[in-house]
Amino acid sequence: MANEERPTTTGFSVIGKRTAMVDAAEKTTGAGKYTDDLSVPGMLVGKILHSPYPHARIKRIDASKAQALEGVSAVVTGEDAPVTYGILPIGHDEHALAVDKVRYVGDNVACVAAETEAIAEQALELIDVEYELLPAWFDPEQSMKAEAEFIHEGRPHNIEKEYHHVFGDPEKGFAESDYVHEARYIANEVTHAAMEPHSTLASFELDPHTGKLGRLTVWSSTQVPYYLQHKLSLVLEMPMAQIRVIKPLVGGGFGGKSEVIPLEIIAAIAARAAKRPVKITYTREEVFWAHRGRPRTIVDLKTGVKKDGRIVAVRARVVQDGGAYCSYGPVTILYSGALLGAIYDIPNVGYDGYRVLTNKPACGAMRGHGTVNVRFAFESQLDEICAALKLDPKEVRQKNFLKPPCITVNNLRVLSYGLPDCVQKVAAASRWKERRGKLGRGRGLGMGCSHYVSGAANSIIRSDMPHSTVNIKVDRDGGVVVYTGASEIGQGSDTMTAQVAAEVLGCALSRVRVVAADTDLTPIDIGSYSSRVTMMAGNATLRAAEEIRKQIASAAARKMNCAPEDLVFREDKVLNNNLGARALSPAKEHRNAAEILETTDAPRGPSVSGRVEGQILRGSLQQKRKEEGPKDWMTFEEAVVAAIDFHGALTGTGSYAPSLDARGGKFKGAGVGPSPAYSYSAQVAEVSVDEETGEVTVHKVWAAHDCGRALNPVSVEGQIIGSVWMGLGQALQEEMVWKDGMLMNPGLLEYRSPSSVESPEIEPFIVESIDPEGPFGAKECSEGSLAATIPAIANAIYDAVGIRLREAPFTPERVLAALRAQKNAKKLNLTEGVDPTSPARFREHGGALWFRGKGPQRHPRDPAITGQQGSAGGDD
Amino acid sequence: MIPASFDYESPKTLNEAITLLASREDAKLLAGGHSLLPAMKLRLASPALLIDLGRIGGLDYIRDSGETISIGALATHAAVAASRLLLASSPLLAQAACNIGDIQVRNRGTIGGSLAQAHPSADYPAAILALDANIVATSQSGERVIPAHSFFTGMFTTALRPDEIITEIRVPKTAGSGTVYKKFHHPASGYAVVGVAAVVRGATGKIDDVAIGITGVAEVAYRATAVEDALRGKPASAIAEAAKHAADKVEALGDNYASGDYRRHLAQVYTRRALQEALSSKRK
Ligand SMILES: Cc1cc2nc3c(=O)[nH]c(=O)nc-3n(C[C@H](O)[C@H](O)[C@H](O)COP(=O)(O)OP(=O)(O)OC[C@H]3O[C@@H](n4cnc5c(N)ncnc54)[C@H](O)[C@@H]3O)c2cc1C
Repeated sequence: MANEERPTTTGFSVIGKRTAMVDAAEKTTGAGKYTDDLSVPGMLVGKILHSPYPHARIKRIDASKAQALEGVSAVVTGEDAPVTYGILPIGHDEHALAVDKVRYVGDNVACVAAETEAIAEQALELIDVEYELLPAWFDPEQSMKAEAEFIHEGRPHNIEKEYHHVFGDPEKGFAESDYVHEARYIANEVTHAAMEPHSTLASFELDPHTGKLGRLTVWSSTQVPYYLQHKLSLVLEMPMAQIRVIKPLVGGGFGGKSEVIPLEIIAAIAARAAKRPVKITYTREEVFWAHRGRPRTIVDLKTGVKKDGRIVAVRARVVQDGGAYCSYGPVTILYSGALLGAIYDIPNVGYDGYRVLTNKPACGAMRGHGTVNVRFAFESQLDEICAALKLDPKEVRQKNFLKPPCITVNNLRVLSYGLPDCVQKVAAASRWKERRGKLGRGRGLGMGCSHYVSGAANSIIRSDMPHSTVNIKVDRDGGVVVYTGASEIGQGSDTMTAQVAAEVLGCALSRVRVVAADTDLTPIDIGSYSSRVTMMAGNATLRAAEEIRKQIASAAARKMNCAPEDLVFREDKVLNNNLGARALSPAKEHRNAAEILETTDAPRGPSVSGRVEGQILRGSLQQKRKEEGPKDWMTFEEAVVAAIDFHGALTGTGSYAPSLDARGGKFKGAGVGPSPAYSYSAQVAEVSVDEETGEVTVHKVWAAHDCGRALNPVSVEGQIIGSVWMGLGQALQEEMVWKDGMLMNPGLLEYRSPSSVESPEIEPFIVESIDPEGPFGAKECSEGSLAATIPAIANAIYDAVGIRLREAPFTPERVLAALRAQKNAKKLNLTEGVDPTSPARFREHGGALWFRGKGPQRHPRDPAITGQQGSAGGDD
Repeated sequence: MIPASFDYESPKTLNEAITLLASREDAKLLAGGHSLLPAMKLRLASPALLIDLGRIGGLDYIRDSGETISIGALATHAAVAASRLLLASSPLLAQAACNIGDIQVRNRGTIGGSLAQAHPSADYPAAILALDANIVATSQSGERVIPAHSFFTGMFTTALRPDEIITEIRVPKTAGSGTVYKKFHHPASGYAVVGVAAVVRGATGKIDDVAIGITGVAEVAYRATAVEDALRGKPASAIAEAAKHAADKVEALGDNYASGDYRRHLAQVYTRRALQEALSSKRK
């Protein structure tokens, strides 16, 4: 694919410009509609009954009282849709509503569809469920030792998946190393905390005569409408063609909406039973239970280096606490291995990854899927090695850069590699050389690097189908409509699509309208995750637009008596490159054209048009220009009219499949990791540590990211800053706290993701390595930066006070404990547990409103109370 | 969750409110609603009648009453934080108020509501105790003045009787003293993990009198009397040692975020810092 043929060599008109998001106005004014804003006639409210137990057999469900309550239309349970599903073909282990067993506190047991939320809640209390409690597993390392009562049949020792990879010869590598460092790193569990809670509205067509249900329409807060359509078809046992999934505005996903979440199917099951539309919107607590976040990860890491810091071998054993269902688990654990060493040139890599089931909400994909926690371990260990060998962490990274184009030991193809520039930029801006280690005790600088895929080269649906297809239709007035299955989730997907189309067509951005993520209208695209949209939907858009441009060019060339190849498309005009270039300069004609466009042809503005001799005319301008005969340029609209007159309605299709040589190796698990292109990030954090309280303050983060080409710099910067915030959260304060499988902080008054309010200064730097496979050279920019932040902060803390924090988040208590250990001071009892079953000692969740005597309630037969707990081996 | 259903009244006068409150056992007063409404949504409180104090005019004043400053119970945290009068003659309360929650909480929450709530991590109690303020409670039997030290009786419990409404808070002027409120914020809720309010009267390095209120550590905010006793009449150099007694004899409570021991430790550090700062702020 030769990008040189594309208008990349000339200057750009639309891409590369700081462009406001195309949906910014509706979002900021509140006019935009999210799923929960929607309602349809006859709509009911759905509420879900959740399991109070971490692991139990369902003996009996009696919903008759709930059913009889006035205002209740339907109560559905597992029996109503017993088909299993899961996001991965190898992981169909979920029921929309529990069949036989519940597997975590919060698992879905039944759903009530009622006239009002109050009635639905009341009805939930009337459902009588008899459970038989089973031993439960909360800690992955304990769970792996289980001999009986496995969480899922067919998953002995509760191991969902394990992978063992060896590239090169790690043992020989360690033997040849001058220095080998080994340590255990733990990153605790975090969740997405997207602003919009999940919401789904499901509505069946109803034949008024027969009462039979027809097609199903589902509006849902999803990153993956086509997967949802597919899973609905599976569980409801309906053909996909009978199901339409529409994604309204989505208020953030971060991976939490990148698979099918139970409510999405439950709403449809309930709507089917009630024969009325049903909407379910999760409470914030339910969002925490639905989870699918980043698993608690234990990384035992060993790195061997030469005296000069050259890395010889790496070996990692990674255990992930996956929660009760498979979800994306095998992909997560594979990403952890695939991306562990591939950022640097490391000849020998060994990896043992275990994805383990426990009785907690399932973990899934979360921004930086699979890479974040191993990156924390690796980049921290590199810093430890530098400290031991008295080397500069920046120079050691520079010694270990890849030399692209290349293939890493684990078969990942790297064509563009902006990491050297990234490191260079943040080192210069932070004055690394002059300032690191010299800021005085209590203040320090730390560096971390990361990388990420620009979409997976092998899709999880294991098909050779292109990963994205885009249709474009151009109307007679020059309006361009792009139909894409890619999901705008706040990351700028629609804006990117519009920009790419406008750039290729040389038309004003305002002409382009994006119709996205509606399975009836838009061609298939596998969704917004693994940072694939710009690479894949971007390339498909580019190709569809090129096809349109070709059609316009052939018609316009006839009008202008030139060859199609002579034409350039720019600034809303089609110009004969040989003659018309002056129309672009500030010459008289250009001004005229611009004026004319302004006064009579404002794109998308109201216009008077009439049909004269088969052609739509606007005022007399076009008529006049038509009479003038051959010319050296046409307006975009004139050219479109010429093309439609010539070809008929103007439509174009483009698709994208990753090139074959980007698809990786052949070993088991080789499918995960390969990507058409990788993004790279380097960050330096400046922190200070209050040695008396353990508080860490981040003063500034310099963050450089290689995104190939910044199609919209303001959007790229926004993604870098957002990634840093999420990294800051995981580094300093975000942690899901569990007690006997019960989430202790399921709300935003207890679980805090950083926002602009507590943001340190973040200085983003864009590095453009112009990737040969990316659209205009672009690649990923939304996830890769996150993983660099956590180790950068850990390393900065080390620079500040000489303590090494190997467990994230670095809360004041953990920092203080480490400081005390450093000084051999008396240990504080810093790990005091909180017992939810003994509310007298349970004061409150960080200020939330648990009143005395009213903590979360447990059933009297709960193992946590009856003491069966111990026998389960659970221990968190 | 949505709250259980309830009746709603919005009296226009204090008298009406008092009468309503006396007439129903299951009634609750509603001020800013920032503690009560969340509790109702979690069904931790299900009052049958809500008496909204918001329509009663003239209860949100902050005025000079000679020796003291009088604050109407409906004064918002934002109003207290910005009060020129308080900042000039008794700044501690304003220093505490500007640390409460976020902007929305400060714009809606009221001083009366916060004191009646008696949250163990609320900010005002520390300041109210350190200032020896008085709380005026009004009922059908008239006004009752409750001194701060006997107002907070436990977690979420106060000396208020069910038929009483807090109408006014009276704080002494602290001219000649240095006052400081030091707070360790919970990263999510914004409440005090530990909050220390200090009033220090003294001249060049010597402490004549000192009052310290501490919130967040125990079930209920308290005066750090051991520290106070160790410092009266002592030089500033005694602060470091004395502050170590900031959590003596209190049962420190822990939660997910911070253990009791850690809170105790924070109380010591923040007490020392607050005292040192108060003393130097005074000298300025
Ligand atoms: C996100 C968030 C963060 C917060 N952070 C902090 C913080 O950092 N520090 C802090 O101190 N607080 C914090 N708060 C609590 C906040 O300050 C509340 O506003 C305050 O606790 C209650 O005041 P209110 O006016 O909202 O009272 P309401 O919620 O209306 O009432 C609270 C209780 O007081 C009773 N009551 C109200 N007025 C009177 C009266 N005049 N006489 C007698 N009883 C009365 C009510 O019946 C009710 O029982 C936070 C709250 C939220 C939601």
